[in-house]
Amino acid sequence: MYAFILLLGLVWIYLSADENAASFAGTSAAPHQGFLAPDFSLPTTDGETIRLSDFRGQAVLVNLWATWCPPCRAEMPAIEKVYNEYKDEGFIVFAIDMTYQDKLSAVPSFVQEHRLTFPILIDETGETARAYQLRSLPSSFFIDRKGIIREVVIGGPMAEALLRTRVEEILK
Amino acid sequence: MLTLFRALFAPPRDIILVVAALWIGLALAEKRSDRHGISKDALNNLVFYSLFGFLIGGRILFALTNYSAFVESPLNIFSFNIDLFDSTSGFLVAALVGFIYGKKQNLPFWGALDALTPIFAFLAIGLHLSHLAAGTAFGAPTDLPWGIDLWNETRHPTQIYELVAALIIFGIIWPRKSSSSPSVLFLNFVALTAGARLFLEAFRGDSVFVFREFRLAQIVAWTALAIAFLGLEYASIISKERRFDESK
Repeated sequence: MYAFILLLGLVWIYLSADENAASFAGTSAAPHQGFLAPDFSLPTTDGETIRLSDFRGQAVLVNLWATWCPPCRAEMPAIEKVYNEYKDEGFIVFAIDMTYQDKLSAVPSFVQEHRLTFPILIDETGETARAYQLRSLPSSFFIDRKGIIREVVIGGPMAEALLRTRVEEILK
Repeated sequence: MLTLFRALFAPPRDIILVVAALWIGLALAEKRSDRHGISKDALNNLVFYSLFGFLIGGRILFALTNYSAFVESPLNIFSFNIDLFDSTSGFLVAALVGFIYGKKQNLPFWGALDALTPIFAFLAIGLHLSHLAAGTAFGAPTDLPWGIDLWNETRHPTQIYELVAALIIFGIIWPRKSSSSPSVLFLNFVALTAGARLFLEAFRGDSVFVFREFRLAQIVAWTALAIAFLGLEYASIISKERRFDESK
C-alpha cells in the first residue's frame, strides 16, 4: 500500500511538472514579492515628474507614507541615512506621500524637519495607493534592478539594519 | 467575506492568526499529554523553551548572517521589526532547544512528538489562514469558477485548499485513540501533511523549481512521506512483535 502511494506521488510530480518553469517572476505586475513592481508616473515636490520604469537598472525603495503617520515619521531618518550610504551604488528612494489622505501643505515642513534628500512624490488621486493595494502605512517595496519586487515590508518603523539587509539584497 | 477577512488580518496583523493557533493547539494538546507519558507542565515547558529558542535563535542567526548590516546599528538586534528574523534558523534552534530540554527531563522522544502533534496540526491551520490573509502561498492562474482574484489575476485558492486539507488532517488526528506504539500519531500527521502538500503544490503559482521543471516542495514532501511510511512500517513491526511476546 505504502509503495503504491509513493509510486502515485512520483507520477503526480511528473504530471504536475511545468515545462515553462521559468517562474512567474517578471511576467506580470502586482504589489507582491516576485512580481514586477506596478509602474507609476507622479509629480515630485520639486515639480518634476518621475516614472518608476525609467529607473530600471537601479535598486529602488518605494515607500508609501503620510505626514500624520507616527511610524512613517519614525523611519524617515533611517531611510535617509541608508539612502546616503548606498546611493552611489545605484540605490534610490521614492517616498510617495499619500496626499489624497494627507495635507499637501504639511509635506515641505516634514521634508525640511527630517532633512530628506531623496525625491518626495505626491499621490493626489490615490491611484498609486490602489496599484500597490495599500492597506497600512508605512508600506515599503524593495525593487531590484530588473524592476521585480524582492521584499515588501508592511508597517514600521523599519530598523536601519533591516533597511541595509534589504537594500544590499536588491543591489546584487 | 474573503475581502473582509483579508482586510481584518492584513499584514502585519496576520501573525495574530498563527499565535492564536499556537495557543489553541497548546490548550488542546495539554488535555491529552498524559496519554503520551508527558505531564501538562512538562509539555508547557517544552513548548515555552522551544518558542524562546525560536525567537532568540531566529533573531541571533539573522544578525550573524547579516553581520555587516548590524555593525553600525548593533542595538537593532533588539528591534521589534519581525522582518529581522530567519525563520528556518529559528525552527532549527527551537528543535534543538526542545530536544535538549526533553533529554534533561527524560521525556520520551516519540511520546513528546505525539503530545506535540495537536499543536503542529493547529499551527498548520493558523499558518494557512495567515497565508490567506496576506495573499502569500498563492495559486496559479485559473479559469475555474471558484478562482479568487489575487495579485491581478483569477487564481486557484490554494490557501483555501491547504486550509481545508489542514482541517481534515486535524479531524483525523484529533479523535485518534492513543496507539500502543508511540510515534504513530506524529508519523501519521507527517504522512498526511506531506501527502497534502505533494498533491496541492501542483496548483501553486509560487513554486520553486529544480532540474528546470520539477517543483522542489513536491520532492521534499515526497521524501517526508517516504520517511513517514518507513517509520510507520517499523512501528507496525515493533507493535506486532510486542503483541506476539505478550501472547507467549
